[in-house]
Amino acid sequence: MNRFVEAAVQRNPAWSQLLGLCPLLAVSNTVANAVGLAAASALVLCGSAASVCLLRKVIAADVRLPCFVLVVATFTTLANLAMEAFAFELHQRIALFVQIIVTNCMILARIEQVAWKNGLTATLIDALGTSAGFAAAILALGAVRELIAHGFPLAAQPAGAFIIAGLLLAAATKIRQPT
Amino acid sequence: MRTALRSVAVLVGLAVLGGATVTWFADATKARVRENRHAAETLVLRELLGFEIDAASGGDVLLCERNLLVLRGDGRGYGGEFRLAVALEVAEPAGTTVKGVRIVDHAETPGFADILEAGSTWLDSFRHGEVDAVTGATVTSQAVIAAVDRALQRAVDEGLCVP
Repeated sequence: MNRFVEAAVQRNPAWSQLLGLCPLLAVSNTVANAVGLAAASALVLCGSAASVCLLRKVIAADVRLPCFVLVVATFTTLANLAMEAFAFELHQRIALFVQIIVTNCMILARIEQVAWKNGLTATLIDALGTSAGFAAAILALGAVRELIAHGFPLAAQPAGAFIIAGLLLAAATKIRQPT
Repeated sequence: MRTALRSVAVLVGLAVLGGATVTWFADATKARVRENRHAAETLVLRELLGFEIDAASGGDVLLCERNLLVLRGDGRGYGGEFRLAVALEVAEPAGTTVKGVRIVDHAETPGFADILEAGSTWLDSFRHGEVDAVTGATVTSQAVIAAVDRALQRAVDEGLCVP
């Protein structure tokens, strides 16, 4: 449980490691889009972390990075296909950002730092925690943007995403480090 | 040497495994994806025409009724293939005009693809016969213009739907 909370809160991928910010800013214009991307990212992260963990004895250390990328690419393609088959409307809006999950440093970092070196339980807890942390971050941003977009149209624009993400980051930093 | 061979074997093995998984899953979801695309196209056509037509008939000519001709078109934009539907009003001789254009699906960059949304002023400008390329989306807009032009040219050349 501690590991989960640590991965989701103290080491939150977005608000403390500043990873995965590109999709975070681009797809948080509505809550529905945010949920879709959070779910796809969680699927890719948990699936590839578990796969790498199970294959860690097989994968040779000197080619581990290309191996990780292959695994992540496989899961990203699966997530993209699943979304096209089962959530077509969402897919039409955010397909591009689902496809670039493959380059998300958040995922590669969790694989290199945790899945590659630890057992399956620890890996899964860390992956789920990181997914939850990313989902919380993107949902918070999506909810704020969608809520205030009516009176404050800039919030739905990319510039608004940067401003609101900055304010949320400031708030998260303040909460984490009470003076 | 042995470690190098082993590395290569692992990489190739993973690539084959990943490729096989993706191929299998793409095959398993193919029917659903086709269904979804068809449903989306039906929606787009209803929006374009104001009434429902059956897009299941695979051909390029979707409808020919009185003077109204609806053609499928496609082309290659910046991000990949796109498909569109063009509604034409057929008149003799060579006076055929564009009544409306809708993009069925595309893979253009989000943000740059806003001009392709239903109700965009740019898509609307096809009805007035004079369409400009769009700054910042040159490849996309020129490809769409070319695709509409091909459809129009074809309708005129082949005398499609001429009473």
